[in-house]
Amino acid sequence: MADKPNTDGAPAPTPEQEVRRLYEEAESRVAKATERAVSRDSFGELLAMVTENAVAVTRIGNEAMDLVLRNLRLAGRQDINRLTRALGRTEDKLEQVLQEVERLRDDLDDDASANGTSSRRASGSGSSRSGSGSGSGGTTRRRATRRSSSS
Amino acid sequence: MTPFERLARTPIAALEFANTLLTVPDAEIGTTPREAVWTHRNTTLWRYRSSNRQYAVPVLLVFALINRPDIFDLRAGNSFVEFLLEEGYDVFLLDWGVFDESDSDIGLDYFVCDEIPSAIRETLRASGQDEVSVLGWCIGGTLSLMHCGLYPDTPVRNLLLLTTPVDTSGSLYFNWTARDSFDVDHVADVYGSVPGRQIDWANKLMKPVTNYWTTYRRVWQQIYEGDFKPDAYQAMAKWVADNPPFPGQAYREWITFMYKENRLVRDRMRIRGKRVDLGNVDQNVLVVTAGADHIAPREGTLPLLDMIGSEDVTHFDRPGGHIGLMAGSRARREIWPDLAEWLGERSDR
Repeated sequence: MADKPNTDGAPAPTPEQEVRRLYEEAESRVAKATERAVSRDSFGELLAMVTENAVAVTRIGNEAMDLVLRNLRLAGRQDINRLTRALGRTEDKLEQVLQEVERLRDDLDDDASANGTSSRRASGSGSSRSGSGSGSGGTTRRRATRRSSSS
Repeated sequence: MTPFERLARTPIAALEFANTLLTVPDAEIGTTPREAVWTHRNTTLWRYRSSNRQYAVPVLLVFALINRPDIFDLRAGNSFVEFLLEEGYDVFLLDWGVFDESDSDIGLDYFVCDEIPSAIRETLRASGQDEVSVLGWCIGGTLSLMHCGLYPDTPVRNLLLLTTPVDTSGSLYFNWTARDSFDVDHVADVYGSVPGRQIDWANKLMKPVTNYWTTYRRVWQQIYEGDFKPDAYQAMAKWVADNPPFPGQAYREWITFMYKENRLVRDRMRIRGKRVDLGNVDQNVLVVTAGADHIAPREGTLPLLDMIGSEDVTHFDRPGGHIGLMAGSRARREIWPDLAEWLGERSDR
């Protein structure tokens, strides 16, 4: 079908190719038109209204369900959320304690290595050892990973 | 193809099309071996070990609060994490996890002041280094930027910001959310954590025809013509469909601070009572923008270049969209090598 060449020498498009080109062109135009439409102020207003109504419906549903559960003396969503938040707060505190313990342990290690160095220096065991001692201290901290699992 | 062949091909293609869409959840993503270094609440810090480590300074990847960070490690052969490992970096990934309603009280300060500092700390401890390179994408970039602006002494040597919103005015999101009729408090209060599907719906609505029609039409066409690559499509489709909820308080603050009040670019962002001073950002900074980004348009990122205090600032402007910048074969060919080169010059061997 693609026998008749164009003026530039390329084979003329088949009817199928022509249909596809026209379709893609139309689709592209529709896409651009919708993008222009959604960027309009009026669409923004519409979206805000739709969101507000959807949220209101969700709220009514949630409150009705909570009321049913409360009257049945069952733990509801809010009770579970409250417990989970309490657990989260406890974990936050544990994390702070853990970081503090690690910091203190590192400080102790630094102090120990510094004391070891100075005692060695005092006993005249050479300055090269003190050099390596200070190199292992400082802010670089190595340790095994605390919790480890593979995925 | 003869008309008969075309006729015979149609039901086969239809079956393959249906099979492709229905088996998207089975696609394997995020398969590079990793280990958990630190966990706190929902957050996990993952470590990917390089067998070819050449650079001392580790890289910490910080992703957005929308979608999951698996996009950094989409699939074998097209994974940014894999690429960095091959380049010789020790890679860490900060995974926020999946939030639910009980996390509705988590605000932006939780990420900027608690999780990012802790992740940096644990990265340094695990790698035995003094400094880290932080790569933030989208909201992850903004959170990393706020962290550096808030903590001048943070041990971040290099800061890479990909498609990071800074000045949101003029963006489509701004048009939708900054108006008074959009009551963000109502949304955050009722949902607790805003459902990921709703955020995804809003994102897709920015380009409705492309997202709801053209994508599927192209899949059909490729299947019909026999040049469809299911692995690539399914991995991306699975990632796109995985939308965790956005913690309510963080959503309220993100929309209010960044869109309704546009605080960051006005120098009025305060986290836990402390002003985020972008002049404090003195790291080596690489800003990457995408020319066709409709979520974080280039114009909204560029003001950052004049606001930060760093003396080493590089800006890459690349073609492509918000996601295409970092995912896809083109990103691997044209963008990742540039990032690695920039990073390599600023990371000790």
